[in-house]
Amino acid sequence: MSSTAELYACVYVREFPAQALLRLRPELHDKQCVVLEGEAPSQAICSLNTRARLVGLRRGMTKVEVDTFEGVTILQRSLRTENSVRMILLECAGSFSPRIEDRSIDGLFICVIDAMGTESLFGPPVELAKRIRQSIRAMGIVAAVTVSANLQTAVCVARGLTGNVPLKVIHRGEEAKLLSPLLLSVLDLTVAQAEIFQAWGIRTVGALAALPERALISRLGQDAKRLLLLARGESPHLLQPIDVPFVLEEQAELDFPLDDLESLLFGLSAMLEQLILRAKSRVFALAAVTITLHLDGGGSHERTVSPRVPTNDKALWLKLLHLDLESHPPPASILAVHLHAEPGATSKVQLGLFAPQLPEPGRLDVTLARIAAIVGDSHVGRAVLDDTRRRDDFHLEPFSIPTSVPEPAIEEAARLSLRVLRPEEHVSVETRHGRPFEMYFRSRRYALEQVYGPWLSGGDWWNESIWGDEQWDIVGRARDSAFLACRLTRDFIQNRWSVAGLYD
Amino acid sequence: MPTTSTIRVQVEAALAHKFPSALTPPARMVRPVVPTGIESLDALVAGGFPVGAVTELVGEECSGRTSVALSFLSKITAAGKVCAWIDGSNSFHPASAAAAGVDLKRLLWVRCGVQEHTAIQETKRFALPDACFAAKAITKGLHGGGHGTHPRTETKGLPAALGRFLGSEAIVPRCAEPIAKPRPTPPHYESTLVSASAPVRKPKRAKAYDAIEQALRSTDLLIQTGGFSAIVLDLGGVAPEFAARVELSTWHRYRVAAEQTQSSILLLSQYACAKSSSELQLRLSPMENTHEERTVFAGLRARAEVLRQRYTERPANVIPLRKPPQHAQDGCWKQSTSWVGTR
Repeated sequence: MSSTAELYACVYVREFPAQALLRLRPELHDKQCVVLEGEAPSQAICSLNTRARLVGLRRGMTKVEVDTFEGVTILQRSLRTENSVRMILLECAGSFSPRIEDRSIDGLFICVIDAMGTESLFGPPVELAKRIRQSIRAMGIVAAVTVSANLQTAVCVARGLTGNVPLKVIHRGEEAKLLSPLLLSVLDLTVAQAEIFQAWGIRTVGALAALPERALISRLGQDAKRLLLLARGESPHLLQPIDVPFVLEEQAELDFPLDDLESLLFGLSAMLEQLILRAKSRVFALAAVTITLHLDGGGSHERTVSPRVPTNDKALWLKLLHLDLESHPPPASILAVHLHAEPGATSKVQLGLFAPQLPEPGRLDVTLARIAAIVGDSHVGRAVLDDTRRRDDFHLEPFSIPTSVPEPAIEEAARLSLRVLRPEEHVSVETRHGRPFEMYFRSRRYALEQVYGPWLSGGDWWNESIWGDEQWDIVGRARDSAFLACRLTRDFIQNRWSVAGLYD
Repeated sequence: MPTTSTIRVQVEAALAHKFPSALTPPARMVRPVVPTGIESLDALVAGGFPVGAVTELVGEECSGRTSVALSFLSKITAAGKVCAWIDGSNSFHPASAAAAGVDLKRLLWVRCGVQEHTAIQETKRFALPDACFAAKAITKGLHGGGHGTHPRTETKGLPAALGRFLGSEAIVPRCAEPIAKPRPTPPHYESTLVSASAPVRKPKRAKAYDAIEQALRSTDLLIQTGGFSAIVLDLGGVAPEFAARVELSTWHRYRVAAEQTQSSILLLSQYACAKSSSELQLRLSPMENTHEERTVFAGLRARAEVLRQRYTERPANVIPLRKPPQHAQDGCWKQSTSWVGTR
């Protein structure tokens, strides 16, 4: 690895606490917002947006001072939100190069990307910087990007950038020239060092770089050597890459407890948009979304929605979440929302000219969710037969469109089918020589013409749910010539006759 | 004086933006059909049930409607298409469907009007009679655990027990103070309240209407989704007096939607409720006993009759002078049970 090919891009986010909190709340972008930090009486501004700065608010102002301004939105600093946004940004930076280093300090987001050898992928450094800035912008965060062959220089120049310049490419050999007008604060001085330079009248990096090296080290110690190298843009640095896991998560804390589902959906919409964007950037689709609502009183309410096919359709996701939350509403007011999504492969469907017409997966999901809201969750799906001879010998599974080729139909005679009576109807049966002879069913007395049986069945004798019955196939006729063909059962355990179903 | 045809054209032109071709009868359409898998029935209805239209199977219970519908579905699922069974009376039997050849993976089953308690399996609980257990210790004394070792402990806890016994009526008299008894609050405010968790017994009629409504709404949603080649709306277990109350506009809506999505809608009922919205209407008579077997139930004989059928295909456009040979309007076939093999 030759040092001539080194190239680093530095992503620098100013006012990170404020930007992290305002990221998912577009309605606050036009308002003056400040972020307060600290315990109740001694709260002070730790971060603020541009509009707040324009009206005269400054970092470090106390809450009392903030109250003298009109129309200022006050937010509390949330380290949890900042951490999650930091992970999102790192993951976004990781899509440009696998080697990234997190150099964030309190209240600032700084990340360095090793961009060596990416020229063929992303073009010249200016293009790379533009693309990095755009992808960070898509995450809802405004960042400044600098590109340099020296990592420390890139960081220092990024910290010294003024608001109007979002991008800066430092060409090889220009490092010292670009660093010289910057203030000393970009170098991370200790308090003692800052005081000494203040006393000497040294304000800028250029002034520091011009000092004689030996004399400075004799006065300040070995750390002066590091400062000088930094100031001249020659400081060596070994990149310490970190591994950022790809986790699709978003969270939002609400200002006040929320009861209304409709207003929650507005917030969910912004969060889903971000999740979909991040999944898309890695050519994924969302396969399942788990929503966790943190509730008033300490509880939480978790629901998972997974459509048949992974999709990136925001409207579809919103509808599915809406229907699911509507049928399973949270028991208390909502304080915070957390979304977690599982990525899945984007759906690839090869349609054929002669393939049968099938329901569209997205529409089918919404329809099934709607039907489930009407008839109940467990009452819609496809039936799967169980390996038992019990009366209800099936269970329901979620319906999905099978992709397998259907088995060829066997030409068979018309089969007689049964209509099950649920619940079964109890009847009085008159027996003769142990066989049913006459029965009274639905206010009619039937003389039984044909009686086939009994067929015995039973099971579960090894536990409490023992069951057993005898079945009779009955063909009967009433006096008014009403016809009846049914399956009659007698429960051994309870010694009861009932009609299990009608042949129809 | 304008001719009638001129007036008709003028009226149509005036109404064109609201009702296109208002006075022109729609073109007669012979629809494609899907065979039902029952030969004599296919011969009766000219090939099978129409695609993109409503077919109605009317008949009492034990007349073979379900068997015909399942046989029809088996043909559709065998072609790799999907279908839906809207079960208005919760009486679908998956094992019968599988025996009829329906691919259950391709069949969406919507159970309407399910009563929750039916899902609980009745279990036989075993409990010993009381005589088998040792008798409970008899509590003694006023406060339950009294009679200490000494007579002075006999009254232990007596004041508390008295307080519990007298409740709010206990009065501590003070000197020279008129004792006013607190007026009891009339309890009727409480008694009129019904707790929300208390089970509400629904009359049978309300349950039937609930199930019908669920079935109709589900069918509406499924038809609009499209892609289902057949949708069976099973109102076969619903009494005629309930089915007759479904609005006619519902069936008309289904007819139009079926035409747009090209799915066959099959309606099983005891009463012909779809009226003119149905393309094909079959009445099934109660089945007859075949008297074939003495030991095993082998099957029954079903009989169907065409009540109405729109636009049957004519063999030729030439109108013969003589009365042409008429089609038989009924057919019968044997439906054998799933355990009977072919002979």
